[in-house]
Amino acid sequence: MNTIKGLLLKDLYVFRNFKGNIIFSILMFIFLITIGSIRSDIFTIGSILFLIFFGMNSISSFSYDENADSDKYLLSLPITKKDVVLSKYLFVFLNSFISILGGIVASFIITILVRGKVNNLGDSLRICFLAFTSVSFLMCANVPCIYKWGVEKGRMQSVIIPALFIFLLGMFGSLLLLLFPQIYLNVDLLYLFKISPYICLMLNILFYVISYLISYKIFLNKSI
Amino acid sequence: MKYNLEVINLTKNYQDFHLKQINIKLPKGKIIGLIGENGSGKTTTIKSILNLMTYDKGNIKIFGKDNKDLTKQEREQIGVVLDDSFFSTILNVNDINKLMNNFYHNWDEKFYYKTVKKFKIPCNKPLKEFSSGMKMKIKVLCAIAHKPKLLILDEPTNGLDPIFRYEIIELFNNFVSNKENSILMTTHITSDLEHLADEIIFIDNGHIILDVLKEKIDNEYGIVELLENKLTNIKKEDYLKCLKYKNESYILVNPKKEFQNKYPKLEIRKPTLEELMLLLVKGE
Repeated sequence: MNTIKGLLLKDLYVFRNFKGNIIFSILMFIFLITIGSIRSDIFTIGSILFLIFFGMNSISSFSYDENADSDKYLLSLPITKKDVVLSKYLFVFLNSFISILGGIVASFIITILVRGKVNNLGDSLRICFLAFTSVSFLMCANVPCIYKWGVEKGRMQSVIIPALFIFLLGMFGSLLLLLFPQIYLNVDLLYLFKISPYICLMLNILFYVISYLISYKIFLNKSI
Repeated sequence: MKYNLEVINLTKNYQDFHLKQINIKLPKGKIIGLIGENGSGKTTTIKSILNLMTYDKGNIKIFGKDNKDLTKQEREQIGVVLDDSFFSTILNVNDINKLMNNFYHNWDEKFYYKTVKKFKIPCNKPLKEFSSGMKMKIKVLCAIAHKPKLLILDEPTNGLDPIFRYEIIELFNNFVSNKENSILMTTHITSDLEHLADEIIFIDNGHIILDVLKEKIDNEYGIVELLENKLTNIKKEDYLKCLKYKNESYILVNPKKEFQNKYPKLEIRKPTLEELMLLLVKGE
């Protein structure tokens, strides 16, 4: 466990390098959400903006590792490939989770202070959870690409692969509706929305587990 | 267990390079210097030993055990310096201490900071502001501060000034003085090995062309400097290699006593490792 803690610390120190930018961005977001909240309730938008802006920063830790060729050094210490990959996924997850949590807390406080209450808090949180799942999907598609091709070379694939997946999923859905139109009539969208946190939870677990296994396999077969 | 490291018939084939039948036996209390040109296979050997890459044939044993089967506790007994790889340069000495404390049970924080002070390494500056020599100092320190039994060092004296190189050599000599610890180091600054290595392994183009005790080099090998026109007086079978440079010829002889008996008027001197390397690779 100490090894994972050490590896997480290593990635956390990367953020310290641009802590000035992070603090400035947080203050900017707080300011913008406050201004926006005067006109309307932007609790959801504020939270999601936090997630998108800060939640995907974890990729930079791969970049710093790549520049220093750190993986080679780390694996010459009593650290296994499993430790390295596991710590990266923990870091990616924690970073996204803290970002959405920070966004929710900041947006909630601002909305309460400016507007006195948050409209449909339950629904707003559901939308945040959906957004979190989308970011998880993107990150989980990105990480194996980075392990396979590196941060720079894998940039294009990191965009193409999730886009292609979404496209194929959309095509499959359209085809399904075309072939079985009655499905659409039988689906209770409101009910689906209500249970979406559970679906999201399962999807998150699925994304992370599948992505971790793919990355680990890639990394295991890679000559460092 | 007599050896801390054994490399047996290590073979690795790339498309354009082949590492062939590398054999290394590193006894306890000894230092082996692995020398050779850039791209000769030194780093491939080190990477194979550290299990950073797969190899096609052969066995590698560390502390008597296959290197792939080492437990974390056993891997803690190894200290490593890699020439081209370390932590991100945004980290500083204090950060590295915290990380290593998590990676090694035996991490000696007191020794680390004492040596940091001795080496005059700044604690709060990021590594990116360090000179290459300063970076190497911290790499070497990280390799020894957890009290390993085996040091595997890839170009550990690269970028160091002569004074610090002297200090490092002292450090390494002390490290093996307990007769239990061993060092395998690659370098192309062969002068560092002159007073350090017990054995020299010379790799050229993927295979070992010389594996000899340093003592034997000193006692049996010799260099004779001649004017080029005098070379014809010496029979080809009496020397190993000859290198012509400007108007002079340098010939490598072994055993030098035999040569001296045949040519008593010629002056034979001890070869440096650099001369030995040069003559073995470039000599005819």
